[in-house]
Amino acid sequence: MRASTLLRSWEFMLAVVLVVELVVLGMINPAFLNIENLLFSTSDFAHVIIAAVGLTLVVMTGGIDISGVSIIGLASIVLGLSFIAGVPIGLAVVIALATGIAAGAFNGAVIASTDVNPLIITLATLFLYAGIATGLPTLLDMLGFEAYGAGGFEAYQYEGITGLPKVFTWIGNGRIGWIPMPLVTALVLAAVASWLMLRTRFGRYLKLIGVSPAVAHFTGVPIRRTLVAVYAINGFAAAVAGLVLTGYLGSARSDLGSEALLGIITAVVLGGSSIYGGQGSVLGTVLAGFVLGFMRQGLLALGVTSDVVPVIVGGLLIGSVALRIGMSALAARRANQAAFAAERMAIKGNGG
Amino acid sequence: MKRLLRSRELLVLVLLVAMVLAVSTVNAAVLRPITLINIVNSSLFLMLIAIGQMFVVLTRGIDVSVGAIAGLAAVIFGLSLEAGMVLPVAMVLALLTGLACGAFNAAGIVFVGVPPIIMTLGTLGAYRGLMRVLTGGSWIESVPQSIKALAVTRYMSVPLMVWAVAVLVVVVAVLMARLKPVRNFYAVGDNREGAYLLGINVRATEFTAYVLAGLFSGAAAIVFTGQIGFVPMQTGSGQELKAIAAVVLGGVSLMGGTGTVWSAVIGALFLTAVDSMMIFLKVPGSWNNAVAGAVLLAVVVFDYVIRRTVRNRQLAMRAAEMHHAEREHDATLRPREAAR
Repeated sequence: MRASTLLRSWEFMLAVVLVVELVVLGMINPAFLNIENLLFSTSDFAHVIIAAVGLTLVVMTGGIDISGVSIIGLASIVLGLSFIAGVPIGLAVVIALATGIAAGAFNGAVIASTDVNPLIITLATLFLYAGIATGLPTLLDMLGFEAYGAGGFEAYQYEGITGLPKVFTWIGNGRIGWIPMPLVTALVLAAVASWLMLRTRFGRYLKLIGVSPAVAHFTGVPIRRTLVAVYAINGFAAAVAGLVLTGYLGSARSDLGSEALLGIITAVVLGGSSIYGGQGSVLGTVLAGFVLGFMRQGLLALGVTSDVVPVIVGGLLIGSVALRIGMSALAARRANQAAFAAERMAIKGNGG
Repeated sequence: MKRLLRSRELLVLVLLVAMVLAVSTVNAAVLRPITLINIVNSSLFLMLIAIGQMFVVLTRGIDVSVGAIAGLAAVIFGLSLEAGMVLPVAMVLALLTGLACGAFNAAGIVFVGVPPIIMTLGTLGAYRGLMRVLTGGSWIESVPQSIKALAVTRYMSVPLMVWAVAVLVVVVAVLMARLKPVRNFYAVGDNREGAYLLGINVRATEFTAYVLAGLFSGAAAIVFTGQIGFVPMQTGSGQELKAIAAVVLGGVSLMGGTGTVWSAVIGALFLTAVDSMMIFLKVPGSWNNAVAGAVLLAVVVFDYVIRRTVRNRQLAMRAAEMHHAEREHDATLRPREAAR
């Protein structure tokens, strides 16, 4: 009970921080609080939230997946190349998403069948997937596929693939009512992930593996299957992030997302997930994503150069963890003191 | 001897030689001494930050900020040269920058208790941002060319920098073999609580590891600036992950407690050589990362398979022994029972 109230208060604290942040930024610059403006600025960081939601599930198991940032670029370039090769855009989206799921499932399969640290496995696949993403255009040329235009696929190795159809760019630029599509996608994905985590057996498995893999094993949790599934989900989320970003920028590139790693992990950790596993929530990650995203927007609007932003984000990441450590140390100390006082009372009662 | 044969360093070294020989059948130019020297020369930066990383990984930590530290140290190095300081002073400043950055990481990890990956990921952003703030985002190009002379000076056609790093590696290797406190890194990484109970100062050991990582990154910054003659904003970018890949490839376990300086050296050489071999095979450079990733994945999985096989064999042997003992026990018991 105590732990759950503490956890709830962390998300509540994030919500308070978010409101305070918006109010402060609005006081400095009233134009910032324009609701339309505010909603549309979410398109700049929705992809970070989407990827962070997937990572939250992975971190819940005590694992980590840093290859997600490469999957973002891989999904983007796969979509672009499929489109150039003449695949209908709907099918191209399916291919890109399937690529993401396959890449994630591969991570999960290797992690589940060895005892090697997930950080190392996904570090290797971070390079592997990024390399495949940049190398794919030349590979298609070598395999003799035909591309529209001169120069073959290789022309798209470093420059983006533009001219994507409107139906597709809608997922990055369109809106439903007032709400821009990237935000809709992020919220829908977050809702589904939250449901998975809180309402399904799969979600309980994730937490159990995070708390103790050994206990999970002896309890009969299908660890292997669960791990493959959760990393596949993360790959899927990263691919969605890649597609949203591609639609938003109107250009498919292999290096999309390579700068997002710090933001994604910060959102997850600031959102209250413990990187040792067993603790965290999707809601916290989403809130933290908003806090970070709006902070970036606000700072840029205030004329702070974009160079300073990573300094602040980095500081926030470290600060939030230090704060949690401090809070739990304080709580432990208070509990100790209470126990000590109770003990003394008991002794007095007996001895007197 | 048997231990040497089983070591990961040797495995990767054999792989490295095999790779070079295999490529030489396609393109004999690889085996020219100048090519090999150039490969070593271009691996120096990665080698230095990998050695720093090794100390951290030995204690079961991780430092993803080493590339950013190298970048920041390079900026300080460039700025102080630009301000007209003499080379030795600028070098000391660069090393001090690395030291300070490492000490900051260490303080957060050791005294506050922030998980290493979180702390160093945060400072990765911070140091990289700081680097841009200091320079306003522009490259430092007005570095005096005298420092570039360091990189082009050659003794016996091997660049001065290679000699310098080689001496450094040998010194570190000898110190690691001879100094008793070095064992603390292994002890802490292998079993933190056990090390504490043995009276090892765990905090000081971990602190030292992160400071050393920073210091070696500072040294890498000097080598880098010397080699290319200016300081671009991308200095060290993405190298932190390569440094981790290098040490793991070379046999330093992320679970702590195993590995030597040679792991970092051979790992860095291997990763750099892969890039060069791609050129000799006329494979487009865009595949470099994919090959490096695949190699790293293959080596760690292969290593796991070997470890599992060895463990299974040991377990089987023990089971057989117990079975044998049981039967002997039965055999001594049975006649007595029969007599009764």
